[in-house]
Amino acid sequence: MGLLSDPSISTQSKLVDGLARHVRKVCYALYVAGVAWFFCLALPEFNHGTYLSENALSPGLVYPEIRIDANRLAIQLLEELQRERKDHLSTTPHAWIAAKMNEFGLETHTHNYTLRYPFGGGKEYHGKNIYGILRAPRIASTEGIVFAAPYRAASSVHADISASVPLLLAFADFARRKNYWAKDLIFLVTEQEQLGMQAWLEAYHDGDRDLDVSKAYLRPGNLPARAGSLQAALNIEVQDLEIDHVDVRIEGLNGKLPNLDMFNLVQRIMAREGIASGYKQAPRKKRRHSQSHFEQNLRQMLTMLASQSSGVPTGNHGLFHRYRIDALTIAANRRATHATLKGSPGSAAVPLLKAIEGIARSLNNLLERFHQSFFFYVIVNNDRYISIGDYMPALVALVACAFLKAYLTWSTLPATNAELDKAAGWLKEHEQEVELEENLDPDKFELPYGSVLIYLTATLLIGFLCNVLPLQQYFLEIPMGAAPLTTSVLSFLSLIGFVLPFVVVLPPGGLELLHVAFLLIYGCALIVIGLLNFALGFFAAVLTVPLVIALETKEENSRSTLRNTIRLATLAMNPMMVVYVIVLAMTFYQFPELPLQKIMLRAATAAMDASAYGLIDSVIYGNWLYFVICTIFLPLWIICWTLSLSKRRDYADYLDFDESPSTPSQLQSQVQPQSKVKTN
Amino acid sequence: MARMYPVAFVLLLLVALNAGANLGRDDERFHEELVVRPLSGDHVNTYFQFTTRWHYGDKDNLYHTQLTPRVIAELLQQFAVKELHIGLTQGLWRYETWGYPIVEATSGAEMWAWFSGANLTNREVDRQWKELANVFSGVLCASLNFVDNTNSIAPRHLIRPQFMPANGRRFVRYATLPREIVCTENLTPWKKLLPCGSASGFASLLNSGHVHNTKYHSLGLKVRVLCEDHDEDNCIVELTQTANLVYDLRLFELSNNDFSLRRMFGMGLNGFCELAESSKIYVQRNEQGERYQLVPEPVHEVKTTRGGHSVVYSVYDMHEQFKEPGERLFNVAWLAPKSENRRRNLAKPSLPPVTVHRYLLGHGQERGRIVTEVTNSHYDTLPIMLQEVIPWYVHAYLHTLSIRRKPQRVNEYGRQRLPFKLLHYTPGKQRELPSHLEIGFTLPGQTSALITIDVDYLLLKWLEYPPDANHGHYIGSAIVSSQLPMGRNYTALPPEGHLFEHSFNATRPSYVLSLHTEALIVSLPTPDFSMPYNVICLACTVVALAFGPIHSVATKMIIVGRQASTPKNFVKKIFNKIFRRGKPTDEAAAECEELRAAGAAAVGATGMASARASISPGGPSGDQPLLEDLDEEEEEQD
Repeated sequence: MGLLSDPSISTQSKLVDGLARHVRKVCYALYVAGVAWFFCLALPEFNHGTYLSENALSPGLVYPEIRIDANRLAIQLLEELQRERKDHLSTTPHAWIAAKMNEFGLETHTHNYTLRYPFGGGKEYHGKNIYGILRAPRIASTEGIVFAAPYRAASSVHADISASVPLLLAFADFARRKNYWAKDLIFLVTEQEQLGMQAWLEAYHDGDRDLDVSKAYLRPGNLPARAGSLQAALNIEVQDLEIDHVDVRIEGLNGKLPNLDMFNLVQRIMAREGIASGYKQAPRKKRRHSQSHFEQNLRQMLTMLASQSSGVPTGNHGLFHRYRIDALTIAANRRATHATLKGSPGSAAVPLLKAIEGIARSLNNLLERFHQSFFFYVIVNNDRYISIGDYMPALVALVACAFLKAYLTWSTLPATNAELDKAAGWLKEHEQEVELEENLDPDKFELPYGSVLIYLTATLLIGFLCNVLPLQQYFLEIPMGAAPLTTSVLSFLSLIGFVLPFVVVLPPGGLELLHVAFLLIYGCALIVIGLLNFALGFFAAVLTVPLVIALETKEENSRSTLRNTIRLATLAMNPMMVVYVIVLAMTFYQFPELPLQKIMLRAATAAMDASAYGLIDSVIYGNWLYFVICTIFLPLWIICWTLSLSKRRDYADYLDFDESPSTPSQLQSQVQPQSKVKTN
Repeated sequence: MARMYPVAFVLLLLVALNAGANLGRDDERFHEELVVRPLSGDHVNTYFQFTTRWHYGDKDNLYHTQLTPRVIAELLQQFAVKELHIGLTQGLWRYETWGYPIVEATSGAEMWAWFSGANLTNREVDRQWKELANVFSGVLCASLNFVDNTNSIAPRHLIRPQFMPANGRRFVRYATLPREIVCTENLTPWKKLLPCGSASGFASLLNSGHVHNTKYHSLGLKVRVLCEDHDEDNCIVELTQTANLVYDLRLFELSNNDFSLRRMFGMGLNGFCELAESSKIYVQRNEQGERYQLVPEPVHEVKTTRGGHSVVYSVYDMHEQFKEPGERLFNVAWLAPKSENRRRNLAKPSLPPVTVHRYLLGHGQERGRIVTEVTNSHYDTLPIMLQEVIPWYVHAYLHTLSIRRKPQRVNEYGRQRLPFKLLHYTPGKQRELPSHLEIGFTLPGQTSALITIDVDYLLLKWLEYPPDANHGHYIGSAIVSSQLPMGRNYTALPPEGHLFEHSFNATRPSYVLSLHTEALIVSLPTPDFSMPYNVICLACTVVALAFGPIHSVATKMIIVGRQASTPKNFVKKIFNKIFRRGKPTDEAAAECEELRAAGAAAVGATGMASARASISPGGPSGDQPLLEDLDEEEEEQD
């Protein structure tokens, strides 16, 4: 370690000087390297084939025992359910489901929950889940596996998935007659899409919470029965008993993923039963064979990251992940044509039932929780993946730009004040007599740490208010829809952020210091977001890093065209603007036939809805996206905007200002009330 | 509340002695019984009880055993044990659907013992307790040898003795091993304790292949010593071996609900144990047993009313069935009515008066809450006692202990609290003692109580993790006890009786009920015991090693100054050491010159930086570059 403590190595070396001169080039090189690395990951040389790490799973070790009679039962149950659906257009046939579970010998319970919708004007909605527990003979209810099927009422706008409940019940009837279960099996039918699942999970893990009736949005209540610690969960969304292919959905809340072993297990067993299955599986005619390997891989990676970045789960499985329960959804699509039908229609669901049995038995074999294999990965292909060790360098290269620039900016700060300070400090250390001289050391050479800190706090306060304000009681009482209300609050607050640099001008050196602070916060924020949700961090980095590299506060080398371009780009990078552009692009993609004006209008309302949904997601499900955008990206944008404007006080102004007594404190007091007035 | 228990027990134990009085001196008797009770939800409970009673009189007689196994007799000589219970159980008894069992047990292994004798000390009892566990670890092939002070407690209120307390002090120890898996290796040695072994009698029905295909099976062993008039030489040793099984008829994959002894146990009964005084099968005929028709028709029928609750049993006496010579197999079949569909049995059973559940709330591997839920579906207030053993790797916080209540029908707990009537807490100690908690309270009728206590999970030392580290650690079940005013669903033997028929018409003012909750699995913070884990450990070490020098560079002022060089001559070295603070010698001055040259070279290396610094306006002169860096570091820390 002598190398590290060698005092002869100075940070102020030639290398630093050289780098500082070419900081932009270096940063752009790093940026390009990071993006290029990411693209390279799609090449087969850069990713790996999947394998099962947990030996206990041993998929396919046992022959499936489920037979055609289970399929017959499923068909019969589906017919019964279709009759029930005619009587329950907008509700769930709870009684029928509970009666069937009871008949099959499950311990059946209902779970009631209440939602107080934040924008519903105090109205309460009640929901009801039904679940049956198969008490395993080989265990004393210490561990359990969940098999869930969401029920959609007949009046729902989403695709009809009513076949999943009969399938679940048919499997339950089969499983009830087996004695090898070493984990309790919970068969759960939820309603209201993800809300029912969220309520059930919260009740399972926090059932004793004494929630304040007036404040809590979702009151999950308590469950009458449990089955120990949940080890894994399988969510089944089947459109019909005759299926075309199975789409395995894995993205969970905030981009969390189930263990890769679980995904591999499902893939293996589906393959053994001869079901076309995979991640983002497309229908038969849409499956692309013409595309090159690389392009296909890259498309798969990007679609996965895109769905991960929003943090919204792609199915009910996503809510399990935060309780450390590995879960995924098998979504089976209806077979469109009957031409390719191999067997008789009477045995259509047998492969799927066999697959579910195989998955259940493999999970039953688990001795420990899923802990081997990967929790952070990107699926490249159905049988290829990229591990965190391989994709993280791409993000690190992007974020390194920010840190590198921060360091170089710091080391090339105008040497006036800092170095004089040092001289004074050195003198103090060595010669006591200089103490007299120290009094002469004028305050104006101090870097304005205080005011920069206050400025940062003010921007963070704006971000914080974005989280809090839309949910305040007096705002909720305004007779306005959720979307316009949220949007107006957000745009008002961003307007404050927009105006802030015009009103508050930092003292000399403040902009440079702010720049360094901005780069450090930006880098840290991105790397943390990237660790928790790689997709969000990576996309944010790809989008913003070029701007951050281009951003410059120095006056001397500012060309007005470049400067104005940067200002324009910064304006375009406003989080609200970005959200609008993304929504616009999606609208354009979905409705290409509409005229541009209509698309823009439609995108505007959609973006407003999106912000409201983001807020609701964050308070009910705990989605971070809204929080991240408001509390991290918006303040960062305000700082970025300040830097791109680089409004400086004239030197003359500064002198005037300086002549008045107690400079820094007054400056602080000036900044503070302004920001307070604005934010209130 | 605490007062009620002892009074009830003293009363019962007086009767217990009378029941034993019909045994003459040096008399040894063996009884075998089998109780079959159809339960709701297509389950059947079969309960075997083998009782050996020996009025051994003189203590020296213990050397010569006949029916009682020798190991039990030796036990009484070696240890001051008066009562011993061991249970080896797989599965969980479901109170809601099955009612109450005849013998209570928790999943895994459970063991408790009472010690009494002259000059016993706590330390001596601890030693004996550990040795006792080791003895039975060998006898039953179970992991009871893991019972030690880290998982044993001395219950204060909940576990009461079932023997006649002598004058000496009484000590009790209790331990559970929830991770224990019960298998055929425990059944075989357990059967060997019987006088007839598994050759004949009811024990021949217990074939491991069929016993372990049940939903619940529990092997029990109970030894107690009953002495008359506190006389050590006039005692009865009573060994009760029980096997409690619950069969699930749906697992038989039959088209109807019929079942028989042969179907459940794989074979019929080949006779009775010749050494047995009595050998009887009791079949419950009312409630769930009502719809079955028995083949062969039973000869005797017993109607028993206990605490206002009537049960009808049909009795098959094996001594009568096998009166005639000749080998044959005896089988009893239960025939459900032909019209009944196998999925018709949906009638929900009436809920027993008290039910318990336990679960772990909270998520993450840092902290959680242990929650015990007791529901009283009786209309009247019941006294409830709860005993918890919380292992040392879970830190419980007593101040967070609370009992909340709600009406039975509501599904959310509010702020209503219940007061403690009794609270006993022994705090645990890391790696040494478990936390032991006993609380008592009264639970109003039609009410549920939620007892919660917050816990922290401990990060263990890496060698303390079991082989399947990510499986989780167990917290043993809690025991909930109550006194029922009526006998509905209550089937336990009265403490003074030793045969199943002693529970017939045994009406008492109250019935002591004890229930076991589920065991829990907690996921303690577990390191990833794999290659990345090792890499992280290594990387952390490297960082730790690097941190020291970096820290010293960043915080210390480095001054290149004069340094007294050490002379080569040994004498001069010593001289130098003594006069270190004196003036530097001429040689040292010469060395100093060299050092200065080196310092100049160092300055030259950083010449570029200093050049830049000197160009910049107002910068310091270029001769202290190191100091400049240091100050900059400090500023950054601001």
